[in-house]
Amino acid sequence: MAKFNIFSEESNKSPLARFWRKFKNNHPALVGLWIFVAFALLAASAPLLAPYGVNQQHSDALLIPPSWREMGDVRFILGTDDLGRDVLSRLMNGATYTFGLSVVAALITTIIGVLVGTFAGISRGIRSSFLNHLLDITLSIPSLLLAIIIIAILGPGLMNTVWAIILALLPQFIHSIRNLIVDELNKDYITAFRLDGASNWHIISRGIFPNIYEHIVVIFTMALSTAILDISALGFLKLGAQPPTTEWGAILAENLGLIYLAPWTVALPGVLLFLAVLSTNLVGDGLRQVLKARKAD
Amino acid sequence: MILDYILRRLGLLLFMTLMLSVFTFSISYLFPGDPLSNLSGVPSSNFAQHSELEDKYLYNSNYFVQYIAFLGRIFQGDWGLSFASGDNVFSHIVDLLPATLELSVYALIISIVVGVPAGILGSAYYKRWPDKLINSTTMVGYSMPVFWLALLLIMVFSLKLGWFPMSGRMGLLYEIPANTGFILIDIALAGFPYKGMAFLDALRHLTLPTIVLAMYPTTVLVRFTRESMLKVMDQSFIKTARAKGLNRRQLIIHHALRNALLPVIKQIGLQFSTLITLAMITEVIFSWPGIGRWLIDSIYQRDYPAIQGGLMAVSLFVILATIIAELTYTLFDPLSRNQAHGKV
Repeated sequence: MAKFNIFSEESNKSPLARFWRKFKNNHPALVGLWIFVAFALLAASAPLLAPYGVNQQHSDALLIPPSWREMGDVRFILGTDDLGRDVLSRLMNGATYTFGLSVVAALITTIIGVLVGTFAGISRGIRSSFLNHLLDITLSIPSLLLAIIIIAILGPGLMNTVWAIILALLPQFIHSIRNLIVDELNKDYITAFRLDGASNWHIISRGIFPNIYEHIVVIFTMALSTAILDISALGFLKLGAQPPTTEWGAILAENLGLIYLAPWTVALPGVLLFLAVLSTNLVGDGLRQVLKARKAD
Repeated sequence: MILDYILRRLGLLLFMTLMLSVFTFSISYLFPGDPLSNLSGVPSSNFAQHSELEDKYLYNSNYFVQYIAFLGRIFQGDWGLSFASGDNVFSHIVDLLPATLELSVYALIISIVVGVPAGILGSAYYKRWPDKLINSTTMVGYSMPVFWLALLLIMVFSLKLGWFPMSGRMGLLYEIPANTGFILIDIALAGFPYKGMAFLDALRHLTLPTIVLAMYPTTVLVRFTRESMLKVMDQSFIKTARAKGLNRRQLIIHHALRNALLPVIKQIGLQFSTLITLAMITEVIFSWPGIGRWLIDSIYQRDYPAIQGGLMAVSLFVILATIIAELTYTLFDPLSRNQAHGKV
């Protein structure tokens, strides 16, 4: 659609400032960003903030409902579980495992993915063909299944889960980065740059990366939401974090037997999990919309 | 042209299955324990038995010969014995796969029936309230962990309201002979015994798992259909049609839909792989006797031959579904045939 500038005012703001301005106008995405930041802070400082220790048991207070219920106790805002452990403290510490480890996993995936994806993007001939075929195979297997396969080999455990998720996220990541690089390589400004005598390293670092780093952030958010879902799903299946680790999926699985007696011990970890994934998705969606809107400018 | 494409895809399929079989063969060495008992499923106890197995599995030859022997056994249906049950792994898979497939197929049908029209509706009312409603609902559904959704539904519909049972495929009262393994078809084949009550009972057992499983693919399809419609609606031929004086309904039904739904077909096929994975979690929660639950149980029990066989069956299925989705897409859309490899 043709667009006309009514006011001939020039906008000389930096790309990042313009990016933020557009993003700010998308209110759901902004809310998502705040929740996201809150989770990140919580993940970093949970042991300091939590009122009780993770495995501290209160034998006088078993299965106390959340404090807004009639039977609740104000000492335990979100209630206690069957061993008298404070649900709030456990959930806060769970952010470190579920959210924090997912961020770490997604970051490692990003670093490896960008390196290999760039390599795949600039390579030609038989190397590129081989890489692509290998990607084809692994891409058709969903990340959770791939993670389960890797867990089956490595054996259950939290750190194994992280490795499995990194390995399982990589194919998708490499594929997206490769497509970005190939698209960018075909553009005229890169050709001009190459004709000026720029080396491959120059083309990548000065020409392509400044233009695609925002896309990489979007792919990162997608990887992150998958990582959170996978880590908690594996924890829930008892293949990942083992109790008494406070990973949200593991807490859920641990309290599954209490679903009749104490539904809050099952519902609350799920709420947090849902909020974490939702905020990540909202931020990712907001970023994508800004990128799309800027393309249309 | 098209033949060339099909041949190339079949080549890829062959390559993928080859890689898969190499991988499956090699994990019996990667797993802890004796590779020979991992392959055969017989925990070797005495010397005579051990050397007998060594002869059968050509264990003293090099890896390549062993691999060829492995392929031969795969084709004969001798997938080793399960540590846990002592039965042939292959017969387990044949028994269990239909239950998973049945669940996945119903979930896929529901997600198509709900997802595609919702996506079209969203794009037709772009940026108005139906679109916003659909968009935010899909965002919520997209972010919902599948196991938590299952637990919520169980809490509300099984524990509180008692409308639906929370586990299994069928009430214990009814006995249906298993012919095909697909429970609804089996009941129909048996001529709707117990005055159709068995059929209704099976439907009630199916409801919750199907809804849980359908959630994620539905949201993906809604988003994909909407995006695809919006992309088509932005193109010049739509503007031309609008300039000719067509109204919105004609525009969407006659011009936009046909072009927008083509990529959706491919997406539907790709959803199958996601479904099989999510089905594993759903099966665990709803105690559905499918291959996913069996596979997860095998991982708990370190039942290596079963893990090997289960992974191979599931992965093979996923790869087949992906290739079939691509082929149907290509049959419908000639433009896509020119694309090179490296795209899934």
